[in-house]
Amino acid sequence: MANTDPEGIDGVRMTWNAWPHTKVEASKCVIPIAASISPIRPHPHIPTNPYAPLRCKTCSAVLNSFCRVDFSALIWICPFCFQRNHFPPHFSDISETNVPAELYPQYTTIEYAISNHDVRHTLPPPVYVFVLDTCMIEEELVFAKSAVQQALEFLPENALVGFVSFGTQVQVHELGYSDMSKVYVFRGSKEMTKEQVLDQLGLSGGFSGGRRVGVVPGQVGGFPNSGVTRFLLPASEGAYVIHSILEELGTDQWPVAPGNRSLRCTGVALSVAAGLLGACLPGTGARIVALVGGPCTEGPGSIVSKDLSDPVRSHKDLDKDAAPYFRKAVQFYGELAKQMVNQGHVLDLFASALDQVGVAEMKVVIERTGGLVVLAESFGHSVFKDSFKRVFEKGEESLGLAHNGTLEINCSKDIKIQGIIGPCTSLDKKGPAVASTTIGQGNTTAWKLCGLDKDTCLTVFFDISSSDKDLSGNVNPQLYIQTVTSYQSADGQSKLRVTTITRRWVESAVVSEELMQGFDQETAAVVMARLASYKMEIEDTFDATRWLDRTLIRLCSKFGDYRKDDPSSFSLNPSFSLFPQFMFNLRRSQFVQVFNNSPDETAYFRMMLNRESITNATVMIQPSLISYSFQSLPSPALLDVASISADRILLLDSYFSIVIFHGMTIAQWRNLGYQNQPEHQAFAQLLQAPHDDAELIIRDRFPVPRLVVCDQHGSQARFLLAKLNPSATYNNEVAAGMDVIFTDDVNLQVFFEHLQKLAVQSS
Amino acid sequence: LDTKVLPRPLDGDVEPSSFAEMYPMNCNSRYLRLTTSAMPNSQSLVSRWQLPLGAVVCPLAEAPEGDEVPIVNFATMGIVRCRRCRTYVNPYVTFTDGGRKWRCNICALLNDVQNDYFAPLDATGKRTDLDQHPELTKGSVEFVAPAEYMVRPPMPPLYFFLIDVSISAVKSGMLEVMAQTIKSCLDSLPGSPRTQIGFITFDSTIHFYNMKSSLTQPQMMVVSDLDDIFVPLPDDLLVNLSESRAVVEAFLDSLPSMFQDNYNVESAFGPALKAAFMVMSQLGGKLLIFQSTLPSLGVGRLRLRGDDLHVYGTDKEHALRIPEDPFYKQMAADFTKFQVAVNIYAFSDKYTDIASLGTLAKYTGGQVYYYPSFHYALHTDKLRHELARDLTRETAWESVMRIRCGKGVRFTSYHGNFMLRSTDLIALPAVDCDKAYAMQFALEDALLTTQIVYFQVALLYTASCGERRIRVHTAAASVVSDLGEMYRQADTGAIVSLLGRLAIEKSLSYKLEEARNAIQLKIVKALKEYRKLYAVQHRVGSRMIYPESLKYLPLYGLSLCKSTALRGGYADAQLDERCAAGFTMMALPVKKMLKLLYPSLLRVDEYLVKTPTMDDEFGRVCKRMPLVAESLDSRGIYIFDDGFRFVVWFGRMLSLDLARNLVEEDSATDFSRNQVCLTERNNELSRKLMGILKKLREADASYYQLCHLVRQGEQPREGFFLLLNLVEDQVGGMNG
Ligand SMILES: [Zn+2]
Ligand SMILES: [Zn+2]
Repeated sequence: MANTDPEGIDGVRMTWNAWPHTKVEASKCVIPIAASISPIRPHPHIPTNPYAPLRCKTCSAVLNSFCRVDFSALIWICPFCFQRNHFPPHFSDISETNVPAELYPQYTTIEYAISNHDVRHTLPPPVYVFVLDTCMIEEELVFAKSAVQQALEFLPENALVGFVSFGTQVQVHELGYSDMSKVYVFRGSKEMTKEQVLDQLGLSGGFSGGRRVGVVPGQVGGFPNSGVTRFLLPASEGAYVIHSILEELGTDQWPVAPGNRSLRCTGVALSVAAGLLGACLPGTGARIVALVGGPCTEGPGSIVSKDLSDPVRSHKDLDKDAAPYFRKAVQFYGELAKQMVNQGHVLDLFASALDQVGVAEMKVVIERTGGLVVLAESFGHSVFKDSFKRVFEKGEESLGLAHNGTLEINCSKDIKIQGIIGPCTSLDKKGPAVASTTIGQGNTTAWKLCGLDKDTCLTVFFDISSSDKDLSGNVNPQLYIQTVTSYQSADGQSKLRVTTITRRWVESAVVSEELMQGFDQETAAVVMARLASYKMEIEDTFDATRWLDRTLIRLCSKFGDYRKDDPSSFSLNPSFSLFPQFMFNLRRSQFVQVFNNSPDETAYFRMMLNRESITNATVMIQPSLISYSFQSLPSPALLDVASISADRILLLDSYFSIVIFHGMTIAQWRNLGYQNQPEHQAFAQLLQAPHDDAELIIRDRFPVPRLVVCDQHGSQARFLLAKLNPSATYNNEVAAGMDVIFTDDVNLQVFFEHLQKLAVQSS
Repeated sequence: LDTKVLPRPLDGDVEPSSFAEMYPMNCNSRYLRLTTSAMPNSQSLVSRWQLPLGAVVCPLAEAPEGDEVPIVNFATMGIVRCRRCRTYVNPYVTFTDGGRKWRCNICALLNDVQNDYFAPLDATGKRTDLDQHPELTKGSVEFVAPAEYMVRPPMPPLYFFLIDVSISAVKSGMLEVMAQTIKSCLDSLPGSPRTQIGFITFDSTIHFYNMKSSLTQPQMMVVSDLDDIFVPLPDDLLVNLSESRAVVEAFLDSLPSMFQDNYNVESAFGPALKAAFMVMSQLGGKLLIFQSTLPSLGVGRLRLRGDDLHVYGTDKEHALRIPEDPFYKQMAADFTKFQVAVNIYAFSDKYTDIASLGTLAKYTGGQVYYYPSFHYALHTDKLRHELARDLTRETAWESVMRIRCGKGVRFTSYHGNFMLRSTDLIALPAVDCDKAYAMQFALEDALLTTQIVYFQVALLYTASCGERRIRVHTAAASVVSDLGEMYRQADTGAIVSLLGRLAIEKSLSYKLEEARNAIQLKIVKALKEYRKLYAVQHRVGSRMIYPESLKYLPLYGLSLCKSTALRGGYADAQLDERCAAGFTMMALPVKKMLKLLYPSLLRVDEYLVKTPTMDDEFGRVCKRMPLVAESLDSRGIYIFDDGFRFVVWFGRMLSLDLARNLVEEDSATDFSRNQVCLTERNNELSRKLMGILKKLREADASYYQLCHLVRQGEQPREGFFLLLNLVEDQVGGMNG
């Protein structure tokens, strides 16, 4: 696609932009009808209305440009339920020539912001509770501590900060205690309810739990839990206090027996932090920012025994049900996720360790709360350091962390919602638009997004009502979908964004040009990746490769151009032509070939796949490759081993890592230092160009990708080779000078041949 | 009994001279006193004696300068002991065979003399090197114990503080006085530089303190999980004082202010106690508990009891004087097992169940300090003095005590604050000079065949300097066949100490009345017995007669019955005060006990106005007076001193001038507000009075005598502080 901004003002991309009009037709389209939406993606042309939106009194959809308006009667007709609504008195001066912004046809997306003046009183400041693992070697702890210190500098002044450290036990630091450093300590081995946590922190207020604590004067604000300010200080003061705590904070003091792992109670630490946040006023946007340096081995949420000779569970173990801690840990974190979603709070996980830390188990909390996750090898590695910094930075590169989001979707009568895959939680709001089948977070028309940012992306799966529609009559051939997202923006405002989109129903039962033109291959590929990952997680015996193959074959059979049983006659409409290659790469990707990775990595990749834009997710599935040489300008190269050449530099972007790969000759010249000689300035420029391009990519990507610079035949070259089409494997004959990829994977040509054969088969 | 005619112990404790006179090599009586130093030779004598047969031992009694117990180091030779009965070599062993053998004075076994202990005998059969061997000439010696007397390396002196910081502890000012006092004692804690120290504070939660030496200030660690208490750090909750001195001082400096706004009314005492145990159990040591609020949360919580006066006089009465919850006795047993001695400092202005709390001190060799309704303005000096003494007095750590005696005599019971580890081994996690223990013995056989019975007390302990030592006291007593001799050589002080302990123990399972009756019965029976012996020859008719040695026994017996621990019923003493007094009396050395039972009453106004006087004149001018109301002249000033407090009594007719010289103008005539204190004023009279008080205090430093001012006729103050304690008068609801 040449479109530089395929998502447009609305931040919406759909697998199908023209919709089959019956359930049967929809199922024949093979690829599900789904929309990828970016609820708060910024766009320069989105207007902001300084007042509350007008809502339909029947279905509560927001007034939009698709409403029919009777200016003389001051009435608008809701396109979703056809209710006639009166404009309120302050709209009385509208007319054809004086329409409010939400009725402008180009403003399909509009924001509403209540004026700052009022907000000061209503919106509590955002809360950041840092949760720092201390079971690590001194060096790592120093990195982690300095990262936290740096983050504190960046926090908005009005933000409240809290600090929890943990190892064998959990320490909640009472920052507001001025006499000396004071911590509340929790046993790491004991699961605790939110009420117990609050009680033990002295935050349960009054008489609960049989504990009577006298009323402290000066805390009589009428808020039952205002004592939480003992633990949460405004960033301006809190940063200083945490600084001094960090200065004296050492690694966990509890002895570790030889041959054992540290006792690390990540689970209890997170649940204590969540409990602490439970004392905040309702509606407070709050994040737990957890820095974890190893696996949980103590208490609930443990993922492995403390005995070092027991390895952390692998995909094989999970497959064979030989991971004794897994289910219990997932269940524990599932409960924690419920608690945090109830409170409206977010878990951000920064895991840095050579071993796994339990991302797979914690995924449910991170994803349900819309938290960030970064997986790195070390707290000293740029993947962590730069990503972490990015979270707290302000300005252009800021992630724009927003809180307390709620997404509602309204849609035309025959459209049902199956659910959402992505960082959100179903609010179980029933309604006529709820489909009978569920995908992801379903059974609802509203979702909680405790944490969201400008990149947050969700995939909504639709279903068509089975009732046959009569499109011949005077029924509108357009369908409407409206997303209404309320949230607290990064700058502390209460906002509401409304996006209303329309698409056409496709009338005919035969494959129409309109339907085919409306197919979005990238979106379809990403949706298939998300759906495959989802099914792999929830269906025990799901065979993703087989499912993808069959889906692709059915799609090609349905939309390909061919003579039955004649593979050589097969061709695909340009709207579909890239899709088979996406599927080929998806089959080989980390999303499907999970056994090459740890469960933590898989969980990490999948969370990123689910929350990133279509463009970014496409790169995860099918990396991009750019070639640099003297012969030509930098240009995209085939993702194929044949693209390797001794006199080229390749830049591979596979999203999580970026590889700069020097051909043998280039590497030799570089080693000889030609780039430093004035007469070889062109070579210096050639060497530099991929670095500059990589820098551009890295700058606006979160998490910051790992940058690998390597040479042909060097050991790091595997990072490139793993992503290339094995057109030349040891099974094939090898052309001189080419690299060989040692793999049993089928290569792209073979894959296509099979596909053509199967697609044209008469069934 | 008409007390008016009884001899009064106006000279205090009069020790029988026989003990030292007959056996000059005996240990000093400050360490060991027998109820009679004439040992009966038969069971029938024992039964006619009627009084308890036993001893009071104060193994670490303070010795005057120059009379300290000599330290003997046998070094590699090992300590010389009897092969059979393990008696330590002592002045009463005899050397024979040219010095190559020694005979054990307790079991009579002939032991070989090791080569390196050999010395030839002189013509009289004495070793020629006696002057180099204090163990062969002194009744008290201290042996340096070699490694076989250790089950682990000697522990360092360790002081751990468990401090109530609930609102009442803060408001009373206790916290501040305590913190200041501890800080002021840091230089004089025994055992530097090995001394260890640690703190826990508590209210409804438990607060540990990380005192790691590298910190600039301590870190407070709160544990609130009362049902499942745990230690929040593996190290640094107990630290070496000299290494962490700065952190400890920083802590003590901030302790009062840290909690000044604490409004917590709860006490998680039991969980806090468990926490302290967890921290201390590695090493043992002294646990000083500062308690101000009735334990209300978690294990060991206590309830208000004792305000039901109907229980008194029934057989449920005693239950109020013992712990209701077995938690306390169990904790005490655990503490003892891990060499922890517990001292309770209790400050509550309400019922605080000393009966339960004191159990911790009772079984760990500790002590109960009770400051009811502690108030900063009134009690500061008392707490400061007593806490400082507790912290700085020489202390023996992780000790056990055993008393051996010759064949035919067997110890049957032990009475005091300790835990019995086996039938005759007393476990004392900590001992000091202010602790005495009483014991009883019996004859094993019908007849004693020896002429002399020997007693040997051995206290094995770790000295604060880190040396393992054995303090040995040896004494001999003659065996007699004459009951009269037993009475003549009786020691009233030891008898009263033992009788008192027995009565207090009895009050834990019987009514107070029965405990008192038992005392009276014993005394009456003994006097009857004595009378039987001599009535005929003296023709005394119905008049009471008693031996010189026992002449004060009836009055002391009466005093015992009127003591806070035993007197009256419900209304005659607050339950907590009664229990506290009981715990205190169980540990008192003889002299202290007698002083408490028959306090001194001194008239001082004449001395004050006399000009000028010499210092030493005081004792001559101010004689002790009988404890009867008639002793009080309403023109005089009197000091009543029971060793624990002073009552300064101003007669009604005292010249106003004199009074105004001693107390502030506006309060010169009205002391009813407790706030009136005696402070030194800028005049000779005041200086002299304060000088007297100071002198009295110096003479008896184990407790601080708090001074109460009373004016004649001001009730109920006068009655409560003084009249009730005039033991010879029929006041105070006595019905015995
Ligand atoms: Zn509507
Ligand atoms: Zn012997």
